[in-house]
Amino acid sequence: MNIPQVVFLCGLALVLTAVAAFTTIIVRSASRGGVGVLGGRTDYARGGRAAFLAHRLTGFGIFAFLSLHILDVAAYSVSKRVYDDVQPIYGSPALRVFECALLFAILFHTGNGLRLLAVDLARLSPSATSFLLRLVVAVVGVAGTAGSVLILAPLFG
Amino acid sequence: MTARSVTTPAVRPAAWELTDASAVDAEPAEGTVDYVLLRVTGLVLSVLVLGHFAVTHFVTDVAHDDSAFVARRLTSTLWVAWDATMLGAALAHAALGLRIGIADYATGWRRRVLQRGVLVFAAALFVLGALAIGRIAYA
Repeated sequence: MNIPQVVFLCGLALVLTAVAAFTTIIVRSASRGGVGVLGGRTDYARGGRAAFLAHRLTGFGIFAFLSLHILDVAAYSVSKRVYDDVQPIYGSPALRVFECALLFAILFHTGNGLRLLAVDLARLSPSATSFLLRLVVAVVGVAGTAGSVLILAPLFG
Repeated sequence: MTARSVTTPAVRPAAWELTDASAVDAEPAEGTVDYVLLRVTGLVLSVLVLGHFAVTHFVTDVAHDDSAFVARRLTSTLWVAWDATMLGAALAHAALGLRIGIADYATGWRRRVLQRGVLVFAAALFVLGALAIGRIAYA
């Protein structure tokens, strides 16, 4: 392992720490208010609350990784060699698992974001809103699993 | 619309619990431009980011995304425009989203410092990213 890779892994550790810290902030904030972290009076409210928290968490996590990713690409500005030192890490087993999680996060944040856009623009009813959320979760599950199979496949020959 | 009060009642209806009517009738507050920008950048990113992920993970496996791959890809003006737009939209989207999030978890000077910090951080990342794209594409 070379020095640029060590620096990258330290950055990744920082990203994961930041996500854990932000999760704590979100969960502590959400646990105030009397209905519990994922509570609510109706299915609609519970689903909306869970989607709201997941949207924040995935948004923060994606940005945290993006910060690191911009820096590792910016290494190309310093030298092509530094970029090529760091880049193979993305093909390692641990990073491939991380990329699967990243894919799920991006898919959910995208799907839920588009759902919010549809709800706002079309002024959808609560039942249509809840249906769209279930649809988003289903699509994220299928697409995320299919993508993860492709990402992990090279590890199994 | 008044700012979120510090002393919240035990059960306060959240934005997503309000009925359609009350959400629609709410005054578009000072955040209208932020709101529209957040949605527009989000819509743009839904195509650009998923496309970027697909190209670097499914079309080409990550094991082959070396500097030669990046340099070859960025000889195309389409990809330079794609990456530059994605960089700007992602950082604007992140800064706007975090701005809203920070307002929920921090008040007073902490809120201002965090929001400005995020803006400066995102701007710095934009400069680094734009320099990298320029260098890879035109060096």
